[in-house]
Amino acid sequence: MVREFQSVIGREVKVQIRAFQSGDPDALVACVGGGSNAIGLFAPFYDHKKVAFYGVEAGGEGLRSGRHSATLCTGRPGVLHGARTYVMQDENGQVLPTHSISAGLDYPAVGPEHAFYKDTGRAVYVAATDKEALAGFKMLNETEGLSAALESSHALGFLPRLAKKMKRSQSVVLGLSGRGDKDMAQLAEGFHEPH
Amino acid sequence: MNRIDRLFVDLKGQGRKALIAYVTGGYPTLSVMDKAVKDLVRGGADLIEIGVPFSDPIADGPTIQESSQKALDGGITPGALLDWVKRFRKSHETPLVLMTYMNPVVSRGFDRFAREAKTAGVDGVIVPDLIIEEGGPLEESLARQGIHLIYLVAPTTPKSRREQIARRSKGFLYAVSLTGVTGARRALPKDVGAFLADVRRRSPVPVAVGFGISDPAQARHAAAEADGVIVGSALIQRLKNKEPLLPFARSLRHALDRP
Ligand SMILES: Cc1ncc(COP(=O)(O)O)c(C=O)c1O
Repeated sequence: MVREFQSVIGREVKVQIRAFQSGDPDALVACVGGGSNAIGLFAPFYDHKKVAFYGVEAGGEGLRSGRHSATLCTGRPGVLHGARTYVMQDENGQVLPTHSISAGLDYPAVGPEHAFYKDTGRAVYVAATDKEALAGFKMLNETEGLSAALESSHALGFLPRLAKKMKRSQSVVLGLSGRGDKDMAQLAEGFHEPH
Repeated sequence: MNRIDRLFVDLKGQGRKALIAYVTGGYPTLSVMDKAVKDLVRGGADLIEIGVPFSDPIADGPTIQESSQKALDGGITPGALLDWVKRFRKSHETPLVLMTYMNPVVSRGFDRFAREAKTAGVDGVIVPDLIIEEGGPLEESLARQGIHLIYLVAPTTPKSRREQIARRSKGFLYAVSLTGVTGARRALPKDVGAFLADVRRRSPVPVAVGFGISDPAQARHAAAEADGVIVGSALIQRLKNKEPLLPFARSLRHALDRP
């Protein structure tokens, strides 16, 4: 149901991309917390197999730190809140505490359709750390004058890594799921931290 | 014969209602819980329900949530609880039911969980976040070990669905008295009697009512239209306050048995 309503994102991309190019984008990138904005962007392109999907989870302080919310990157199948999907859990099936600089990505499970995309290889799921998200936020501010939400900033933080593997002629659509006005306190704190 | 089935057959013969006592596994510690369970049995509990503490207990109110977290902080694991069941079984034949959320069972694997539960001496399992549409595989794993999977119905469950659920439930059917989570309430919903009567009419297995039952008068009232009552949070509150359970269990027993 979430996919159905959110898919307006991907359907609009299909139409609006025509202002820039004739074919599909080569890659779609979105942050993944519960997974709604990402599945909304991806799903309408499901059958367009040449379009690569990248879901970016919250890497927090790094996957090895244990302080993150990268469910698809580190979890295993379980049942949480009524859905069978990837869940961050310990060996006894207890759900693990999560961490992210963005409240919206702080969730120990994920929409089950992403679990399907992962298992079938349709999408690739990666993690961007708190620091990469801050860098992503800064990048968009400096290049476009836009303040993205900290959630979306994770997708932006991953973008340089992806761009390195792509050709100049290729295109990427990145879902900006929200704006950063709501995150000013977190951003101020994040940018003041000694790096 | 499964101990739960035997219990309800016996009670029916005696014209009595089942007193089902819930405690959170490992709360406040495993040894205090052990003594609490034995006191409850001495006080007249017919069936013991052990909650397997879970990090995200979505069907539970503040009392049981807090006890679950305390027990987890104390290091309790499903394995440690199964070991406790094994020890309990050396001295007691009281039917035992595990109340566990789905994820720890998925994590352990259905067959392994069922085997270990059987070896320990568990008679039934309640999984509040499992629906009948998804319950088949776990039912089968448990049935192979002679363990009952007990389903729940709520006042919001449509009538035809109450019947479908009742037909799948083994041992007894858990009737949730109210719309909400566990926790002692001052009063049960006014229409609980009508709800229970309807459920009981539709159910081929005995019906036990739980959620919100906090004192002997409520237990007696709820039992009028059911085959048993389940008391949980009221016991956990007493454990938290370090109050003895034996007199309370006796007062519940007395309220149920009074003609
Ligand atoms: C701006 C924004 N983006 C993304 C998310 C993450 O949710 P989802 O992965 O379901 O899109 C949230 C969640 O609150 C959010 O506020």
